[in-house]
Amino acid sequence: MDKIWGKKPRKSDKKKKGTSNYAYAVTRVRAMKSKLLPKETYPRLMNMGVDEITRFIQESEYKNDIDELAMKYSGADLAEHALNRNLALTYAKLLLITAGEPNYLISEYLRRYDIWNIKTLLRGKQYNASLEEILETLISAGELTYTTLSELAAMESYEEIIEALNETDYYPLLQEEYDGTNLAYIENELDKMYYSGLFGVIGKPRSKDRKLFARFIKLEVDAKNMGTLFRLKKAGVEQLDEIMPLMIEGGLELNTEKLASLPYEEFVEALRKTRYWDAISGVMVPDMDSLTGLECRLLKFSLESATTYSHVSPISIVPIMDYIIYKNNEVNNLRIIFRGKEAGLEDELIKDQLVVI
Amino acid sequence: MVLQDVKPTRSELINLKKRIKLSESGHKLLKMKRDGLILEFFKILNEARNVRTELDAAFELATDKINLASAVNGVVAVKSTAFSTKENPEIELSGHNIMGVFVPKINSTGVRKPLYERGYGIIGTNAYIDETADAFEDLVEKIITAAELETTMKRLLNEIEKTKRRVNALEFKVIPELIDTMKFIRFALEEVERESTFRLKRVKARMK
Repeated sequence: MDKIWGKKPRKSDKKKKGTSNYAYAVTRVRAMKSKLLPKETYPRLMNMGVDEITRFIQESEYKNDIDELAMKYSGADLAEHALNRNLALTYAKLLLITAGEPNYLISEYLRRYDIWNIKTLLRGKQYNASLEEILETLISAGELTYTTLSELAAMESYEEIIEALNETDYYPLLQEEYDGTNLAYIENELDKMYYSGLFGVIGKPRSKDRKLFARFIKLEVDAKNMGTLFRLKKAGVEQLDEIMPLMIEGGLELNTEKLASLPYEEFVEALRKTRYWDAISGVMVPDMDSLTGLECRLLKFSLESATTYSHVSPISIVPIMDYIIYKNNEVNNLRIIFRGKEAGLEDELIKDQLVVI
Repeated sequence: MVLQDVKPTRSELINLKKRIKLSESGHKLLKMKRDGLILEFFKILNEARNVRTELDAAFELATDKINLASAVNGVVAVKSTAFSTKENPEIELSGHNIMGVFVPKINSTGVRKPLYERGYGIIGTNAYIDETADAFEDLVEKIITAAELETTMKRLLNEIEKTKRRVNALEFKVIPELIDTMKFIRFALEEVERESTFRLKRVKARMK
């Protein structure tokens, strides 16, 4: 296993790795951002058929990824895997062109993909999924390379996977807590660990750019917590000791403990006083049959808020994060349009899911 | 029954009368069974029709939900989340009797699960996944109910068909043939009786 992790830098090493190259990185990122699809593209794509969209993607920045995967996949699967591959390569490129602090911050932010992949590996082993099935659901956009992930996926049991991760920060949690039956708990703990790690990296933000970076993460945490609270209340979970372990600490505005203790009507009433109310009020109905509209509005709100101040600190982590958000959003939007069109979803429904920032 | 094979004897006639009586009572019973089965069938038919409509609606909803979840989260995410299912629903098969027809009774456990028992983490997933899971749980429940009702209907239909064939066979073939045979034996016996009376008269005349 040392072979897999031999070259992996430890958290403490990364801080020391080179001096920050914000000026260079931001210039490269600006050039990369200019290649993103302008927002006028989405209405055009909405008027196209599936074949036209395929052709459009084939002629865009995603050409190489489509060509590379065309032998293996077709249709919407090809588009989705090509988009994921492009996203992974873009993030890998970001890690390559940055050094010092920006590199450290980006790699910490991209740990969400590592966590996603670890969860997928554990889920796959629990389900006895085939190697092929597991490999298809991995997105190597974090620190763990595709080769590493493939080696992990090929392992026989979850115990071996956990043992192979012994050089990582996830090992203590997995080794001590996971017994093969409590996957949901472990998944929640991994997610919470991600955010607490990220807040640990940001520390107490003093500079303007760090404050903006922290604000973006805090907004995301609030959106996630609010979504979770709605889901749990809809499912009839009222006990505070059942809800609180599912809350992520460090949100911007929401007092999760207070909100969790309130019955549904009062919970909604309490949300009226928050900055999120304007974003969600349009989809609030008393019985809340579906929460997808609400989650979509929350996502739009957090992304729009995160990108509003991106011009404030031009030579800092902010433009890089801004690019990460835009790129991820472009991939999401293209997938939504492609999959939605292919599945025959109504145009209005597809448009509602898009986040055009 | 081929008439040539029949021995026109009194004992055969008595046997035939018994068989006709038996066939007629069997015919009456089978007719009652057929009518009862048809009544049961129509009772279930309405229920099955409703369940089938609900099943179609549930299938459409589940398809819409999974398509939306796949569009928003990606098929990759939906598939990965699906791997976290740890317990498959269990189905217990028993049965009961409707007029001699054994029909299944399907009891399912573990189809509908609360949010926190589905096996996936709550924080890393979203409402799109929850609603897809909800819709598919509902679909599986409907499939189980529909399977029970439709199997019952199929078995009842088979039994009705079988009973109808038996009733028709008795009514149009077995009983008429038995009656014909009975008539033939009666005719043959009467003929024998006439012959013997005639013979006796001849003997008596010759003796005079």
